Amino acid sequence: MPVIVMASPKGGVGKSTCAVLLASEFARMGADVTALDCDPNKSLTRWASHGLPKGVTLHSEVGRSDIVTIIKNADGDGKIVIVDLEGVASQLVSRAISQADLVIVPMQPTALDAEIGSEALALVREEEEALSRTIRHAVVLTKTSAAIKSRVQKELENQLRGAGIDMIEPSLVARAAFSELFAYGGDLTSMLNNPEIVTGGKVDNALLNATAFTEAVYERLK
Amino acid sequence: MSGSNRLAGLTARPKGTSPEEVRRIDDVGEARGFVDRSPRKKPGRKPSPRTYQLHPKVFPRVGEAIASEAERLGITQGQLIEEMWVTYQKTL
Repeated sequence: MPVIVMASPKGGVGKSTCAVLLASEFARMGADVTALDCDPNKSLTRWASHGLPKGVTLHSEVGRSDIVTIIKNADGDGKIVIVDLEGVASQLVSRAISQADLVIVPMQPTALDAEIGSEALALVREEEEALSRTIRHAVVLTKTSAAIKSRVQKELENQLRGAGIDMIEPSLVARAAFSELFAYGGDLTSMLNNPEIVTGGKVDNALLNATAFTEAVYERLK
Repeated sequence: MSGSNRLAGLTARPKGTSPEEVRRIDDVGEARGFVDRSPRKKPGRKPSPRTYQLHPKVFPRVGEAIASEAERLGITQGQLIEEMWVTYQKTL
């Protein structure tokens, strides 16, 4: 089954959030998910410390020297591998991309995120040439507004589409429940069903957004 | 979205994992500034777990006696002190 890599040399764009949402939603679909935490900030490890959803296994502190071997060992029929990378331009990132079936480049709808994120897109294309194989890649906009689509976002989407970049729809809206997953662990369903968990937003809307996002990713893996 | 049967259609695809392919990828990445940024390890031998100093203020004659006894037994002074500690604990 596929290896999905979250890549962007910029930090704070939502790589870990995408990774957690995909890991938990694919596990909910019945997949055997292996999540690799390659980020020195250990966001996935922090999430896991509060409890992993059923069907998710986590490898922490994966480094440059073992990334290829760990992905190779985790990859197999019936498994989905999700790799959360560090937000820097490093050899670890380029090696992880080389093992991907799908590279997701999250970016907030800002010019700076788009400019730095485009470095990852360019690297994917160069690796495709070096390996003589297609590495599917797509951009997802993150932390977008639920109410309105800003002018900057519209322009950015047009520019990316114009450049032939695959855009994942829906974007990931700025939801309190997404960030609070790192404080409570588990998945959005457990958050929704636990009355003791108090979030600053609507969990049901967050779950709908995450489900639609995962569905869009699934369509790109077929 | 439910049903693991949908996921069953997704199969593992082979990827380049040979050292030569990894080297090629490293070269491509380095040309774009994706360089090795893994933290460097501290150079030199790791300190022995026995280097913890117990107390330096023993009389020189006691220190010399411990040193010569350890040498006679073919063990380190630390090992001798550990044995003495075990013996002492048995007397309690």
